[in-house]
Amino acid sequence: MRRTVLALVALLLAAPAVAATQQEVEESLTCQCGCGLTVHACNHLDCPSGEPMKKEIAERLARGEDKETILTAFRTRYGEKVLSSPTFRGFNWLAWVTPFAAILAGALGVTLVIRRWVRAPAPRPAAPPPVAGELRQRLARELEDMDREP
Amino acid sequence: MPEVGRLAVCLALLFAAYGVLAGVAGGLRRRAHLVRSAEHAAYAVFGLVVIATAILLRALLRHDFTLEYVAAYSSSTLPTQYTVAALWGGQKGSLLFWSFLLTLFTTIVQVQNRERNRALMPFVTATLMTVAVFFLSLLVFVTDPFERLPVAAREGADLNPLLQNYWMMIHPPSLYTGYVSASVPFAFAIAALATGQLGDQWTRSVRRWALFSWAFLSLGNLLGARWAYEVLGWGGYWAWDPVENAAFMPWLVSTAYLHSVMIQEKRDMLRVWNVVLVLLTFALTIFGTFLTRSGVISSVHSFTQSGLGPFFIGFLVFVLLVAGGLLAYRLPDLRTRATMESFLSREAAFLFNNLVLVGIAFAVFWGTVFPVLSEWVRGVKITVGPPFFNRVNAPLGLVLLFLAGVGPAIAWRRASPRNLRRAFAGPVAAGVVAAAALALARVPLGYAFATFALGVFVLGTIGQEFWRGMRARQAMLHESAPRALGRLVGKNRRRYGGYLIHVGVVSIFVAIAGSNAFRIEAQETLKPGDEMAAGKFRLRYERVTSEENAHLSRLAAEVSVWRDGKQIATLAPEKRFYKKPQQPTTEVAMRSTLSEDLYLVLGSYDPPSGLVTLQAFVNPLVSWLWIGGVIMAGGTLVTMWPSAAERRAVAYELGRAQVPAE
Repeated sequence: MRRTVLALVALLLAAPAVAATQQEVEESLTCQCGCGLTVHACNHLDCPSGEPMKKEIAERLARGEDKETILTAFRTRYGEKVLSSPTFRGFNWLAWVTPFAAILAGALGVTLVIRRWVRAPAPRPAAPPPVAGELRQRLARELEDMDREP
Repeated sequence: MPEVGRLAVCLALLFAAYGVLAGVAGGLRRRAHLVRSAEHAAYAVFGLVVIATAILLRALLRHDFTLEYVAAYSSSTLPTQYTVAALWGGQKGSLLFWSFLLTLFTTIVQVQNRERNRALMPFVTATLMTVAVFFLSLLVFVTDPFERLPVAAREGADLNPLLQNYWMMIHPPSLYTGYVSASVPFAFAIAALATGQLGDQWTRSVRRWALFSWAFLSLGNLLGARWAYEVLGWGGYWAWDPVENAAFMPWLVSTAYLHSVMIQEKRDMLRVWNVVLVLLTFALTIFGTFLTRSGVISSVHSFTQSGLGPFFIGFLVFVLLVAGGLLAYRLPDLRTRATMESFLSREAAFLFNNLVLVGIAFAVFWGTVFPVLSEWVRGVKITVGPPFFNRVNAPLGLVLLFLAGVGPAIAWRRASPRNLRRAFAGPVAAGVVAAAALALARVPLGYAFATFALGVFVLGTIGQEFWRGMRARQAMLHESAPRALGRLVGKNRRRYGGYLIHVGVVSIFVAIAGSNAFRIEAQETLKPGDEMAAGKFRLRYERVTSEENAHLSRLAAEVSVWRDGKQIATLAPEKRFYKKPQQPTTEVAMRSTLSEDLYLVLGSYDPPSGLVTLQAFVNPLVSWLWIGGVIMAGGTLVTMWPSAAERRAVAYELGRAQVPAE
C-alpha cells in the first residue's frame, strides 16, 4: 500500500520532459481577466487578457523560446499569480509536498495503529450485565433467527 | 406584506433562541415539559420561516420592485421558473432558503423521534436551533431580505444570465439540501457527546440522514458540473474553483464516514473517528458557505460578494470549540478496545479508504487556502489552479479506485489465502485482460490507462459478488435468475445498493479520465460554407440566424456536422445578449453520444463579413459522468429503502440503550 503510494508520488513528480506546446503553456498561465480559469480555458469573447496572452505565447513559441523562458517573461510582467500552479521553490514547495506528507504520515499512523490492534490479545466478549444479560441474549438470539435467510 | 416577512424572521430568531435554552436546560435537568416546549418552539420557527419564505417568493412573483432583493435579482421579463430560482439566486434569499431547509429538517427529525431517542432529542433540538439562530441572526441583523429601497425601482436588474439555466433551477437546491441535512448527523453527534450515550444508537438513528445528505451533495456536485459544462462554455465541467472545492470537501469526508461507520457497526471500533468525521463534515459545510459568501478567495461563483465572511468564521470557530471541547471531555468514554486480526481484512481496507478520502479532502483544502497562506507569509499573491489539483489528486484517486475494488470482496477480520484467491483471482484476471486490450488498442500508458484497467477490476469484484449471490440463491432456493437477483438485492439492500453506487463511481472515474486524456480541441474563423475538422468530424458553417424578444436577443450559427461523408447532425451554438444586465453569454451546442460529446462554442461574429469564430471540442466519454450519477442515485435509493431487518436492529439498539447501565 505504502509502496504503491510512494511509487505513484515518484511517477507524479517525475513529469516527463516533452516539447512545449501552445496548449501546455496556456494551461500553465492564469487568465488575468478575473475569470479564474487558465489562459487556455478562458473563452471570454475578445478577452482583454487571455487573447493577447495567447497571441504572445504563439509568437514566442514561433521564435523558438522554451516554456520556462515564456513563463518567466509573463511572471516578470504580472507577478507570480499569473502562474496557474505554485512553483516548486521556497515556500511554494510546501503547497506540493504537504498533501503527500500528510497522507504518508497518515498511512504510517494507520499502519502503526493496525499493527498495535493486531497484536492486542483478542478480548473476551465483555460479561453482560447480570439482569439485562438474559434478556439481551434472548433478544439477540431471536433477532438472529429472524435474520437467517429463508 | 414585506414587513410581515421581516417580523416573521425576527420572531423566528426569538423562538429559535428560546429553543436552544429550553432544549439545553430540559436536557440537563431532565425536564420533559421543557424539552417538549423546546420542540414546539422549533415547530414555530419552521412555521415562521415558511411564512417569510412564502412572502419573499410572492414579492418575486409579483415583481415588487420596492424590495431591494427583488429589484436586484429579477426583472419583469424574467421567465417564471427563473423568478422562482431567484429565491436562491442572491445571498439574502439563499440564506433564507437555507433557514427554510434547516427548520424543515428539524421538524422532520422531531416528528421522527417523538417516541424515540428521547434522551438525545433535547440536545439535537438545541444544536439545530443554534445553527438556526446563526442564520436567522444574519437575516435579522446583517442582511435583511425584506429591505425596502428608498425609491421603488421601475425595473429589476435581472437575475445573472449565467444563472438563467435549467440546471441552475436544481443545482443549488440540491447542494443546499446536502449541505443543510449534514446538520442532522452533526446534531446527533453533539447530542451523543452531551449525554454520553456514545454507542451505536446515534449512528443508526442518523444513518439515513447521513446517506441523504451524502446523496444530495453528490447530486448537487454533478448538477453543478453539468451547469458549468453547458453554461460556462469552456469545454470542461470542473475547474477546481474554490466554491466547487467547498462542495467537494464535505462530500469526501461524508463518504469516508459512510464507510467507517460500517466498521463501528460490525466491530465496535472507531467511535472517536466517526464522531470526528461527522463534526468535520458539518464544519466543512459552514466553511464552504464562508468561501461562497466571503469572496476571500476569488471564484467564478462570486455572484454575491459581501462582508459576511467574519460572521461565518466566527461561527465556525464557535462550532469547532464547542464540538472539540465536548469531544475532549468524552474521549475516555469513547475509547473502545479495538482489535484487529490482520492487515488483509476489510477493516484495514476501509481504514486506508478513509485515509485517502480524508487525504484528498485535505489536499483540496490545502490548495484552496494556500493562496491566502502565501499572501500572509510572503505577501505574494499566487494562484493554485487546476493543474495543481489534477496533479495532486489524480494519483490519490487511483489508489481510491483500487481500494473500491478491494473493500467489497475482502473478508472481514482476516482474509485467508484461500479467500483472497477466491475473491480476487477473477477480477484481477479481468483487469489484466483489460490492460492488455488497452495496450493493443494503443492507449498510451498514463492515468486514463490505469483508470480503465482498475475500473474493470472494480467492476469485476462487484459483478462477481452479484453473480455468486444470485447463483447461491438459485442453487439453494431454486429461484429463477431474475427473481434470485431481485431478492438478493432486496434482502441485502445496504450491501448491494452500495455496490451499485460503486458501479456509478467507476463510471464517473472513467468519464473523468477519458475526457481529460483524450479531448480534442479546434478553433477556426470561417465564412459561410467553410469547413473545419474536429477529430473525426467535419463541421460546415452554413449561416447565422437571429431572434429577439423583450428579454434577450440571440444569434445562432448553424453548423452542419459531417462524418465519413454523411451529415449526422445540425448544431446551432448561440451568443445571447441579456438586455437588462447588458450582458452577453454563450450557449453551447452539443451532440452527445455514449462515446463522445461534440461541443461547439460560437466565439465571435463579425456582421459585415459574416465571419464566425467557431470553437469545437470533442470530449470523449463525458456522458458516463451523468450516467454514473444516475446509477449512484439509484444505488442510494436501494440502500435507503427501509427494510425490516434494519428496523429490528434499530429497535434492538434502542432496547439496549434503555436497559439501565450498571
